[in-house]
Amino acid sequence: MIDIEPQVWEMLGRYIGAGLALGLGGLGAAVGMGIAAGQANEGLMRQPDTQGYMLRTMLIGQAVGGSPSIFALVVGLLILFLPSGRLEGAHFAAAMVGAGMSIGLGCFGSGLGCGWPAGKACDGVARNPRHTTSVTSSMVIGQAVAQSPSIFSIVIALMLLFVVTAPDSVLLTFGMFVGAGIAMGAGALGPGIGSGQTASGAVHGTSRWPESAGLILRTMLIGQAVSQTPAIFGMLVSFILLLGVGDVPLGLMGLAVTLGAGISAGFGGIGPGIGSGAVGDAACQATAAKPRLDTLILRTMLIGQAVSQSTAIYALIIGLLLLFVF
Amino acid sequence: METSTIMSLLNMVATQTDAGITNETLISASSLIGAGICMGFGAIGPGVGQGYAAGKACEAIGRNPQEAGLLTRTMLIGQAVAESTGIYSLVIALVMLFVIGG
Repeated sequence: MIDIEPQVWEMLGRYIGAGLALGLGGLGAAVGMGIAAGQANEGLMRQPDTQGYMLRTMLIGQAVGGSPSIFALVVGLLILFLPSGRLEGAHFAAAMVGAGMSIGLGCFGSGLGCGWPAGKACDGVARNPRHTTSVTSSMVIGQAVAQSPSIFSIVIALMLLFVVTAPDSVLLTFGMFVGAGIAMGAGALGPGIGSGQTASGAVHGTSRWPESAGLILRTMLIGQAVSQTPAIFGMLVSFILLLGVGDVPLGLMGLAVTLGAGISAGFGGIGPGIGSGAVGDAACQATAAKPRLDTLILRTMLIGQAVSQSTAIYALIIGLLLLFVF
Repeated sequence: METSTIMSLLNMVATQTDAGITNETLISASSLIGAGICMGFGAIGPGVGQGYAAGKACEAIGRNPQEAGLLTRTMLIGQAVAESTGIYSLVIALVMLFVIGG
């Protein structure tokens, strides 16, 4: 038997947690900003006269789309330098790794998602420079909503850093904290990407048919709200794991139940989030082209999104069965 | 890796409060965590695929609203077929929970 010192556990947790937070959390925003810059270049190639508007739109899009990576930076620094008073040793390490998972995966999705509307906005400025204002405002609203999954993941990461209390069993603690981090982080990944796709469809539609901007905004907000349900499922399971686990078994069985529930509810939300976002993207563009068909398109969008969420509901059921039946 | 090696690793992490880890607990614990992995990853594909189908249906209804009924029906059939692998994952997860794990 090797005994690992508590300080070594704490360092291990800090380094892995901060690495996950910044490594994953920075990745999405970086790709997203690159998409925006790429589209700006493509637009300027076609319309060099629009460079004043283009620079402004690109920078606003990148600044808003970059905020998930700043959230990840702040939480990453907290993970590295937070004094370990409340939790100690391996328990502290588990909380840090869980917080890193939550913020890293959650900010990855929103950062990537915010890049597409920024790119489409740059494309739209080149296409239709007179409507720069309506395109930019549609982009900012879409990006702001696409960031809410990353805000959910901050809540869970901060709870792991400042609020939670750990049971004695190390294996159960590890399952609870890392499971909650995976449930929230992976659960926010798909909705972040999906809401961004919906926003990109709306920005594209607004740039081509600025007169239907109001209807497009409505379709976009409904589509984004529905595509964020898997993130809510993930947050629900994280809250249960962090606050409300009643009598789960201790030891290895506790680890299996809690980590399994987190993986199921979290990863199960990725596909439905992305899929519902793709529906919203197509629906926004269709509404833009044919505003008089908006009710019919909205109905089809909602049916399609509801069906594509069914697997997220199965995953939630398996997660809750693991937590409450075993 | 032999089971005994895995168990000695797990026993190393477990504290005094954790019950000793035996072969039976290792098997049920693996099947429970396997159920979570099975349903979690199995849900990704159907979600993306069904969303893609529904997106195309919205696009098509925007172009040809007269055929909305036919397009919605086709979308739902396509989504039902895409759902099948999600249902396989659900069945396997339930088997792992209640037949092996319980």
